[in-house]
Amino acid sequence: MSRDLCRKAGYTFTFLSDPKAEVIRRYDLLHPGAGVRGQDIARPAEFLVDSSGVIRWANLTEDYRVRARPDQIIEQAKGLK
Amino acid sequence: MNQHRWNWHLWAGFVLCILGFASLPVLARFPATRDVPWVNLLLFGTGLAFLFVGLRRAFGQPQQYRGKVAGSIVGAVSLLTVALFCFVVFYQTRQLPASTGAPKVGEKAPEFVLPDTSNQPISLSSLLSTPFANSHAPPKGVVLVFYRGYW
Repeated sequence: MSRDLCRKAGYTFTFLSDPKAEVIRRYDLLHPGAGVRGQDIARPAEFLVDSSGVIRWANLTEDYRVRARPDQIIEQAKGLK
Repeated sequence: MNQHRWNWHLWAGFVLCILGFASLPVLARFPATRDVPWVNLLLFGTGLAFLFVGLRRAFGQPQQYRGKVAGSIVGAVSLLTVALFCFVVFYQTRQLPASTGAPKVGEKAPEFVLPDTSNQPISLSSLLSTPFANSHAPPKGVVLVFYRGYW
């Protein structure tokens, strides 16, 4: 399903699945019972990780309708060495 | 002249309020109208102003204007619509877990391995060390985006 979605949307970046929400849990981003059918899903979050694996910028929104915009992330990524 | 005129302000206000709510799924597709739902609020504001004028006419000049009963009903429905909108947009979507354990700026991003769309296991460290597309050097960084499902 993700593959079809990616192809349809034309995404070229790596698209990963976390069906058991293991990594979502490890990052403490679980939003329990918030899925359409009451599933545990992720709260939206964005992290910018530098080449040494350290987080340089993070955005945990207070309102799940409001996400980081692409130009915001690109602006932050310009600061990477 | 004792003829009752159609109180169109009431219905215009009602339609604007319903439109303000019904347009949410469309307007939510664009960050400019989603992050702050100003178009919806503008529709509600205009709609409620029309309703106010219509109700004042219906109750203030009942010999001239119709709409005492209908106006009360559409007015109540409109108010409920605005209230439901405000509940969803200003309260419900902000009920997020605290996520106090989420990795912070300056910390190492926890390593992970997850399947990609071809079911190949991909680790964070491999993303950080594999040159991207036609480049020869590893990337300067990786953006991790967690999302809720379809958006």
